Amino acid sequence: MNTREFTTHSAEETIALGRSLADLLRPPKLVLLRGELGAGKTTLVKGIAEAFHAASEEDVTSPTFTLVHEYRGPEVNVFHIDLYRIDTPRELETLGLDDLLSGNSVLLIEWGDKFARFERERDVEIVLERVGENERRIRISGR
Amino acid sequence: MPDAYILGMESSCDETAAAVVRSGEQIVSNVVFSQIATHQPYGGVVPELASREHLRAIVPVVRKALADAGQTYQSVDALAVTQGPGLAGALLVGISYAKALAFALNKPLVAVNHLEGHIHAVLLEERQKGNHEINFPLLALVVSGGHTHLYLGQQRQAGWTYRNIGHTRDDAAGEAFDKVAKLLGLGYPGGPIIDKLAAYGNPNAVNFPPSQIKHRDRRTKGEPVEAASQLRFDFSYSGIKTAVLRYVETHHMQAEIQTRRRALAQVVRPTLDDYLTHTDSQTLDLVASFQQAMVEDLVGKTLAAARASDVATLFVTGGVAANNQLRQTFEREAAMQGLPVYFPSRPLSTDNAAMIAAAAYPKFLAREFAAEDFSAEAGMALR
Repeated sequence: MNTREFTTHSAEETIALGRSLADLLRPPKLVLLRGELGAGKTTLVKGIAEAFHAASEEDVTSPTFTLVHEYRGPEVNVFHIDLYRIDTPRELETLGLDDLLSGNSVLLIEWGDKFARFERERDVEIVLERVGENERRIRISGR
Repeated sequence: MPDAYILGMESSCDETAAAVVRSGEQIVSNVVFSQIATHQPYGGVVPELASREHLRAIVPVVRKALADAGQTYQSVDALAVTQGPGLAGALLVGISYAKALAFALNKPLVAVNHLEGHIHAVLLEERQKGNHEINFPLLALVVSGGHTHLYLGQQRQAGWTYRNIGHTRDDAAGEAFDKVAKLLGLGYPGGPIIDKLAAYGNPNAVNFPPSQIKHRDRRTKGEPVEAASQLRFDFSYSGIKTAVLRYVETHHMQAEIQTRRRALAQVVRPTLDDYLTHTDSQTLDLVASFQQAMVEDLVGKTLAAARASDVATLFVTGGVAANNQLRQTFEREAAMQGLPVYFPSRPLSTDNAAMIAAAAYPKFLAREFAAEDFSAEAGMALR
C-alpha cells in the first residue's frame, strides 16, 4: 500500500491536482473521498473529470441532492456519488451503484465510509483536510 | 381549439407526483407523495428516497390524480413524464410506467425536462389567474436543492427554446440552506426553518463576502466573437457553507448545537416556538446573516443577468422560490427596474407533476411525442 501526500493552496491548485490523477485512477476504480464539509471534495472531482475529458470543471457540481452525477468521456465515465443523504443499506441498494461499475468507469464516492462494503471494496482512498483558509492536505492511498 | 387534458407524472428525485392539467392553463388535480414528512419527527434523518419508494407510490398516486380530476385512464388526451435531469433509477420508474400506460391506452406520450417543468409552473398559474400577458424574452431563475440555473426563454410559434446563461459551479442554493441547517442542529430539510428563524436575528451581524467567480473564455477556436460575448452569470455556494462552519468553530458553538440537536430530536413535530426556545441569539444572527447573503447574491446576479439580456419578464421558480425574504427582495428590486417578476405558489414551487403536464401542452400541440425507445437522461440539459 502506498500513500502520497500533497498540499494545495487554492481551489485552482486542488483542481490541477485532480487533473494529474488520470494515470493513478485508471479504470475500473472505486474511490472513496473523505473530508468534512467544505474540505474540497467536489473541487477535486472537477479536476478528475477534466483529467478523463469527461466534463469541464465549470460543469461539475455537488451531487448531494441529486445523489449521482455522471460525466461521460470518450474512454472513461466518471461517476460522482454523494451518500450524505443516504443512511440505510436499503436506500443504498436502490441507487443501483453496482450497475455503474464497469471496465471503463471511475466511481468517486463521498461519505462512502458510512457503509462497510465500500471500505472493503475501495481501490483508492483520498482524504482531504482543511489546514488553513485555502490550504488543503490531500492524502491519496492505493491498495 | 378543444380542451386537452394531460396526465403528468414526475419521479426525478424525492417526490412521486401525478397531476391532470387542462390545456396548460388549469390544474384539475395535483397529487404529490413526499417521503420528507414521514421522517421529520426523527430530527435530521434523511428522507426515504430512490426508486423502490417511487415504485410503491406511482400507481396509487396516478389513480388519485385521475380520481381527484374526475378523469379516467381512457378520458385523458395524453400522458407526460419527466425524462431528466434526475436520478436515473428514480426517473425510470415514472418513464417505464408512463410508457406502458401509453402503449396500453394507445395515447400519445410527451417527454418533459424537469427544469422546463419548473418554468412552466409559473406560466400555468399565471394563465390560471387569467394573466395571458407574459412578455418575451423572459429570464427564469430555477433555484432548488439540486439546481441553481438561469435560463433565457423564448416562445417561438408553439415551441419553446431555452439558453442557459448561468448555473452553480458547486453547491445548489437549496443545498447550502440544507447543509447550514444541518450543521446548526436545525434538522432536514433546512430551507423552511431558516426562512422562519431569520426573521428573529440581525441580518447584518455576520459579514459573508460575496462569492468570486472567474468566468473562463468558453470560446472554441474559430467561433465568432458574437457567440463568445454572451455573458455568463454563474453562482457558487460552497464557500458560504464553509464560512458558516468556520464561524461555528471559531465561536465555539458546537456544544450549544449538540444540545439543540438532542432537544429537537425529542419533539415529534417541532413548532417555531420549539426552535426558538432552543436557539440562542448568536445562532439567530448567524442564520439571518446567512440568509441575507444568499438572497443578496441570488437577487443581485439574477437582476444583473436580466439587465444584460434586456428581458421583459422575470420568473423565479423551484423549491427555494418559496423563501419569503427571497420573494420580497425580488419583488422590491425588480420593481425598481420596472421588471415584472412572477413566482409559483408554494405547492407549485417544489417538485410536482402539474408543471410537467403544463410544459407538455405546447409539445402536445406541436405533436412532439416521445420516441418509443426514449429513456431516462440523468444529466439532461435544457435547450
